[in-house]
Amino acid sequence: MPALRLALHFIHRELRNRYLGSFSGGLWALFQPLIQLAVYSFVFVYVFKAKVPGANAPGYIPFLVMGLWPWNAFAEGLARATTAIQDNAALIGKVALPREVLVFSAVAANFLLQGIGFCAIVIAMRVFGVPVDLFALPLALLGFVQLFVLALGFAFLFAAVQVFVRDLSSALPQLLMLWMFSSPVFFARDALPERYRGWLDWNPFTYYTEFFRAALLGAGSFSLSSTLMALGVAVIVFTLGYAIFRRLNPYFEDFL
Amino acid sequence: MQSPVLVEARRLGKTYPKVFHRRDRLRALYRLLTGGPGIDSTSVLRDVDLEVRAGQSLGLIGENGAGKSTLLKLIVGVLTPSSGEVHVHGRVGALLELGAGFHPEYTGRDNIALSAALYGLNADEARAKLPEIIDFADIGAYIDEPVKHYSSGMVVRLGFAIVAALRPDLLITDEVLAVGDESFQKKCVRWMEDYLDGGGTLILVSHSMYHVQKLCRQACWIKQGAVAASGDVFEVTQAYLAYQERKSAAQPVRQDSPSHAQEFYLIDLALNGDTADVPLVIDQGCRVGARVHVHSRDGREPVISFGVARADGTSVYGVSTEMEKQRPLRVSENVYTVEIEFPELALLPGSYLLRAHALDTEGVRLFNTLVRSITIRGESREFGLIRLKHSWPAANSETNVAP
Repeated sequence: MPALRLALHFIHRELRNRYLGSFSGGLWALFQPLIQLAVYSFVFVYVFKAKVPGANAPGYIPFLVMGLWPWNAFAEGLARATTAIQDNAALIGKVALPREVLVFSAVAANFLLQGIGFCAIVIAMRVFGVPVDLFALPLALLGFVQLFVLALGFAFLFAAVQVFVRDLSSALPQLLMLWMFSSPVFFARDALPERYRGWLDWNPFTYYTEFFRAALLGAGSFSLSSTLMALGVAVIVFTLGYAIFRRLNPYFEDFL
Repeated sequence: MQSPVLVEARRLGKTYPKVFHRRDRLRALYRLLTGGPGIDSTSVLRDVDLEVRAGQSLGLIGENGAGKSTLLKLIVGVLTPSSGEVHVHGRVGALLELGAGFHPEYTGRDNIALSAALYGLNADEARAKLPEIIDFADIGAYIDEPVKHYSSGMVVRLGFAIVAALRPDLLITDEVLAVGDESFQKKCVRWMEDYLDGGGTLILVSHSMYHVQKLCRQACWIKQGAVAASGDVFEVTQAYLAYQERKSAAQPVRQDSPSHAQEFYLIDLALNGDTADVPLVIDQGCRVGARVHVHSRDGREPVISFGVARADGTSVYGVSTEMEKQRPLRVSENVYTVEIEFPELALLPGSYLLRAHALDTEGVRLFNTLVRSITIRGESREFGLIRLKHSWPAANSETNVAP
């Protein structure tokens, strides 16, 4: 219970930290992905003339929304959590606190922001006449929870390794960029040549883009087995990441 | 019945890894993960046994880098022991270094909320404590300013106010009082005395033997990562001070080398008949005699001045032959001698310096100075430097009151 209270405090602090001193305050959190969406839509729809394959295709922008928001939640949460321990070195050196809370809060704060943004844009799309299944929104949020578990697993791993090897946070933006383009965020699996399609299953993020598209837009499908598989992967990554974090935790102070 | 143990350390040790090269970090990570052979490390603390019971007050003393702060951090749980174990029971309030966990961008008020959350208080409890904390910190309108605008004294005030309001079972502080101003130091010391009277437990790190002796009943002297002495506060602090003296005696005190071209110079200084340059250790209230021999180039009579100073240089008393119309005895054509005697030296226990100065016949020009250290032993709990003559005309003596 005290750990949870502490986590809430740090989430609040994380949200405030991000917008403390900025003119637009929290609004930026909602605008930034919208601007991103506008840029990507322009490039892909008007320059590359991207089309979503399939008969009842929902249009490229809704298709992109389903990939972009979950990706932002995942990648930004990961980027922030990676330096969570290092950034709070001063606090860790002076106050005894469960360090897991710092990593958890960094990821949770970002998922909270992106989750709210996601709900807002899904409802906005419905208002503008995009055939989004609003009744599937609670189901989609469950998908966010599952993605959160996966992100948390990677976050624990990266935050712990970052304490020892500082190169990680510098390499991470490139790594995440590579990861984004090797996930079906901008394209559908069907757009790939036949023989490469199976490779996507090795990417733990693939499931989520396809899940959100199927659940909310009715584009493509997701099976129970793939859901269980993704859940299994999330739990394994979480368990492994957390175990490594716990193992390295006693030595953080020595290397910070 | 003995009170419960709050802190229990058994063969506690801490080593820090040696990380010099970029590759060392990667290797350390690999070894920690695979449980391979240990990393090269420097030992900062070893085999420390410690037990603090509820209601006790322990002072940790020692030189810089002896491992006092590391020991505190191990007790607080900020560091993990490399060997041995430490168990802490009860709510711990810790003030480690300056600005314990404050965020510089946040206001004092926000930082109070964070500290409260770190100590496990819920929002209501934190709100209830807020006026008390603000009142104790007494930093006025600064409470709504970001902590980065605070002076170091204000940071300490706020930090101490928070810990004070939490009423921990065990209070741990690390040489932070030194930063506050006089009035706040007094406030803190008064609070700690009340806290101790109320059954609180204290672990204090301080270089001020005054604070340690005033607040603590036990002391533990950490020397190069190990316990050098522990037990009664007076025994331990005096052993520590004596060690400090021996150490400074080993590096000769800066003494003017006598130049034979000078008109006057001190040849030697004997304390109680001993000219060897080692600290004189005597009991409180004993006799001290200081005798010097002076060389006079032209055979003129010198003026000799004697002074007593605290080990840090603060002057306690000074007197010269000229002031009291005394004249040195002539031993030979160019050598004079003079002795001063303090029959019952009123200095309180501690370390002092005795200085002798050679001046010219008029008592104006100062030639050379000889310095010797004196350590006064004793168990007096009085404060200050010397015992002033006193009596208690309106008081009951406890020794006369029936128990």
